[in-house]
Amino acid sequence: MNEITCQALPEVDFASVRRIDGLDEISANYAPYLADESKLAHQGADYLFFPTNEAELAAIMREMNKRGANVTISGARTGLVGGCVPAGGAVVAMDRFDKTMDIRWDDETNEWRVTAEAAVTLKDLNDWANKKNFPGLQARASDETLAQLEQYKNDPRSFFYPPDPTEMSASLGGTVATNASGAASYKYKDTRNWIRRLHVILASGEMLDIPRGKYFATDERKFTIIDTAGNRTTLNLPGYDMPKTKNTAGFFAAPGMDMIDLFIGSEGLFGVVSQIEVALDQMHDGISVVQFLPSDTAALDFVVALREEADFAPDFLEFYDGNALALLRAKQIDNPKFIDMPPIPADAGAAIFYDIGFNPDDPDPDFSKLKEVTARCGSSLANTWAGYERRDLARFRHFRHALPESVNAVIGERKKTYPGLHKLGTDLAVPNKALREIWGFYRSKLDTAGLEWVAFGHIGDNHFHVNILPKDMDDLAKGLAIYVDFAKKAVELGGTVSAEHGVGKMKKKFLSVMYTPEQMDEMKALKLALDPKAMFNPGDILDFEGAAR
Amino acid sequence: MLLIDTNTCSGCRLCEKNCPFAAMLIVDEIAVVQDNCTLCGACANVCGEHSITIERAAASPEELAKYKGIFIWAECDESADGESLVPKKVTLELLAEAGRLAGKTGEEIKVLVLSDGRPVDTNPLFAHGASGVIRFVNKLLWPYSTDAYTTVISAMVAAKKPSIFLLGATPDGRDLGPRVAARLKLGLTADCTQLEINEEGQLIQTRPAFGGNIMASIVTPFSRPQMATVRPNVFAVSETPETGRKGDIEDFDVALQRGVVRTKILEVEKVGTAGGGIDNAEVIVAAGQGLNSPDDLDMLRELADELGGTLAGSRPLVEAGWIPHTLQVGQSGITVSPKLYIAVGISGAVQHVVGMNGSGSIIAVNNDPEAPIFKVADVGIVGDAAEVIPALIKEIREAKKAA
Amino acid sequence: MKILVCAKQVPEVTNVQVDPETGTLNRDGVASILNPFCEYAMDLALEMKEAEPEGEVEIVVLSMGPPQARAALLRCLEMGGDSAILVTDRKFAGADTWATALTICKIIEKLDGVDLILVGKHAIDGDTAQTGPMLAELLSIPQITYGVGLEMDEKKKRVRVRRENEGGFEKVQMRLPGLVSVSKGAASRRVCSFESILGARAKDISVMTADDLGLDEAELGLQGSLTQVVKVFPPISKEAGRIVNGTDANAAAHEVVGILKEKHFV
Repeated sequence: MNEITCQALPEVDFASVRRIDGLDEISANYAPYLADESKLAHQGADYLFFPTNEAELAAIMREMNKRGANVTISGARTGLVGGCVPAGGAVVAMDRFDKTMDIRWDDETNEWRVTAEAAVTLKDLNDWANKKNFPGLQARASDETLAQLEQYKNDPRSFFYPPDPTEMSASLGGTVATNASGAASYKYKDTRNWIRRLHVILASGEMLDIPRGKYFATDERKFTIIDTAGNRTTLNLPGYDMPKTKNTAGFFAAPGMDMIDLFIGSEGLFGVVSQIEVALDQMHDGISVVQFLPSDTAALDFVVALREEADFAPDFLEFYDGNALALLRAKQIDNPKFIDMPPIPADAGAAIFYDIGFNPDDPDPDFSKLKEVTARCGSSLANTWAGYERRDLARFRHFRHALPESVNAVIGERKKTYPGLHKLGTDLAVPNKALREIWGFYRSKLDTAGLEWVAFGHIGDNHFHVNILPKDMDDLAKGLAIYVDFAKKAVELGGTVSAEHGVGKMKKKFLSVMYTPEQMDEMKALKLALDPKAMFNPGDILDFEGAAR
Repeated sequence: MLLIDTNTCSGCRLCEKNCPFAAMLIVDEIAVVQDNCTLCGACANVCGEHSITIERAAASPEELAKYKGIFIWAECDESADGESLVPKKVTLELLAEAGRLAGKTGEEIKVLVLSDGRPVDTNPLFAHGASGVIRFVNKLLWPYSTDAYTTVISAMVAAKKPSIFLLGATPDGRDLGPRVAARLKLGLTADCTQLEINEEGQLIQTRPAFGGNIMASIVTPFSRPQMATVRPNVFAVSETPETGRKGDIEDFDVALQRGVVRTKILEVEKVGTAGGGIDNAEVIVAAGQGLNSPDDLDMLRELADELGGTLAGSRPLVEAGWIPHTLQVGQSGITVSPKLYIAVGISGAVQHVVGMNGSGSIIAVNNDPEAPIFKVADVGIVGDAAEVIPALIKEIREAKKAA
Repeated sequence: MKILVCAKQVPEVTNVQVDPETGTLNRDGVASILNPFCEYAMDLALEMKEAEPEGEVEIVVLSMGPPQARAALLRCLEMGGDSAILVTDRKFAGADTWATALTICKIIEKLDGVDLILVGKHAIDGDTAQTGPMLAELLSIPQITYGVGLEMDEKKKRVRVRRENEGGFEKVQMRLPGLVSVSKGAASRRVCSFESILGARAKDISVMTADDLGLDEAELGLQGSLTQVVKVFPPISKEAGRIVNGTDANAAAHEVVGILKEKHFV
């Protein structure tokens, strides 16, 4: 169908929704709701709401819309680009939307699907799915759901929810808004790939219930929304071609696209996602390997080989350059949190961290092709850390978090002398064929500028996080300039300026590197079609003159 | 019964020399056991040919009834000047608990004292409830060695037949206990935190298992004495000892050969605080993984100083080399019960809590409101230790000045 | 030189839940792992092996347990052990530390030329720390407990062990054959390589049962145990205390010091 009709939600008295009034009160007792992980300063907030269900959410939207006020949606506040940092108006905290609503087996697609409210965290969802116990669901559920739950418990296989951003305390709703991805997205793709149905509440207070596979744009990129009064709004989706990489910059747009995808990765600009149905995947036995290699060139060769030869199909492919390893070696010496991390070999010039299928009970496993590839790249399977038990995997996960933490620690120290200092991180991705070129570009620019830097990240998706560690404000300025060059190069090679963090408030200037002014206008028009007063998440992705306050 | 395989016995006389009771004689180049054998197992332990087997049948009720009395091993430390040996505090703790148990069974309490010749003050032992001391003096008995002490203690216990035998679950206590138990084929329960006598007169030995997640109660119905090592700092020392109380001292002779001792201490390295260590401290400030660097320990030491206390820490800090194991609190470290325990940056995993939840007052500082430590703390501060600790130090100093 | 490492498979106790009413352990989702202290024993064995020329030191790993204890042995082989023995039989079920030590003793008596036995200081489920010393007594060999570091003397007839005691450390010399129970040594532990994990699968794991022991059934398992567990219950939990918001450190400190004053700590 090329059109969808909104649903009305039960009327609820706006005055009955729990709210906190006034910036003073909010700052004094609810300060966390004014910030997120980006540490960006807020621009004020007049109200803080705590709705408990969709009807209350709708009541808030209707009232704020009437008053011409802004609404910033606040999930778990783990975002890195200031997405839920308020710019005046109302903050709507989704905290109370923390329940599982349903579980069912889908015969057509052979998957288990869980419906959860927007503030359920990834960590909790995985915990519950793994332990096969969803707190509170049994009390709330219909007989049919209970029967399904029983079936799930009896299913001998283990299941999980694949999107794995490093911060697993992120909310489901937040991950839908940013189309989050993590290391395992190399195999499992981004969040979009796992969303089966959404409830979206629009600025009008009416709700869209969108299952995947039912509502599609036309080949001319048009779609119609009909409200409960029968008014029709036609959406003209932007005409650009999306980059062939992981992407969280700009709206999803393609001819004949499934309309559910419009609301994934659009950072809350079109409405608030209240409920999500996700698909789970089956866990499989794997072994995690940190392969040390003599240089980053060797590491790139290794990655290309793993990607293209044989059927390795790793879950993830992560990279650590020589500078990153050096930083970790240094931090390991004095920080007790690193006690778990094995010593990094002194001669390691780079490392690739990957995970492949492995059956511990197989008496005669054959990895001869892998041995050969590794040898070709100047290393061997002896020069690895490897493990398949949960405890070992925990040690390696530790290794993964250790690097961003170490970078933050270094910056933290330097900020004492230069309070304006901050780290610079890239979130650029390019298509597979451009891997060596973009890496060569990064290295030559950084080394010429004489900056201190480390690089790591999802090399499987050609998505490096290059962290420049400025030593002073001069370095910071140089770094910012270089970052723009990086963004331009990535786009030139067919890539994106934001592969997983989203644009929010902090990466807006990079959008214009990627999109022409006409394309930006198309995005603005689409936004205004769905949210005429530009009420939702002001300051995120797009700027509007004279927007509601 | 003691059986000698005459085919393999070589008449080497090792058993004869090592029998504490002279109950083994070599006759016509074969070992022959005498009537006064107590089945203490010293001979089987030294026999190179494995010719000696001791069969211990499960004791019948009549047999069991022959065992009377509560024995306690008085593990000693050297006095500060090195001139005498002083029973450890855990001995007094055991005496207090034994006194309570003896009140139910009407049994006598005796303390086993092993010395190298230096005097051991027995007055506190009598004051705290012992009616007798069984003593053996020999140069070989200092420092502690597994072999010498196992031989002597096994001999004493086998000869004197107590119903209950208790040791402190100190490193040496847990080294010795199972050795004696295996030699005498006795059931042993380690690291007990509760003791009780049931209706059948059996000793119920209760102890934490699974890292402290569960408590298990254990009996040893088939063997006597019932042996247990008891966790230090769990039972309270009596506050009203009967000073001046007298008891008898029996000197017990054991033939102890130098060759029995197969280990030798080459050097000793003292580490950590002087003066008593953390298990005697009244105030402890404990550090956990939540701290960012070893430098943070300085402010904790300051806080400890202001309160007249001492620094301790959790296992991860010991394993990272920030503090020595002598300061480790927890299931695989030391159990403490100070009047005040301040846990800083400690999450409160059960393995740690099991080592300190007997403390009088517990204060916790952690920036994670969900940290389990808050379930055991009397007062919990949810905040950043880097700010809270200096604020506490400042506030305490001001309070002291005002007082 | 032959080193025997005795290993045990245990549940990962950090995740164990106890039903507060029945006291039963809920082991859902709790993995079975090689006892951490047995891993440390393997660490020491490997250190000794690496200190000697190749082929000089052989490490044999032994575990008494149910059939799935094989996984724990496999891990020891992945770490670098040379061969393994699984001692498994239904008749061993319910064995306490005495029955366990006796069973293992009988197996070791059948092995040739074991010079040194390493065990973990305690298993994280039983927490008794008894099996090692009992085993040593039954084998009539000397012991050193709480070892954190080991070196051989030149003639290979004695070991010198760094031992943890209450006041710090002591260095103890012991004649071989002997037994050492091991506490945690080096701060940062080794990790297996992919190569050693794959290589472990080619190593030998032999199986021995009750029939190999030559013991009367009455001496095995629950029947042969000298201790009996009569009750299992969860520890008593305290009532939660007072929570102070520490965002304003000075206000929090003021409140807490007030409490300390009341209790006469200040």
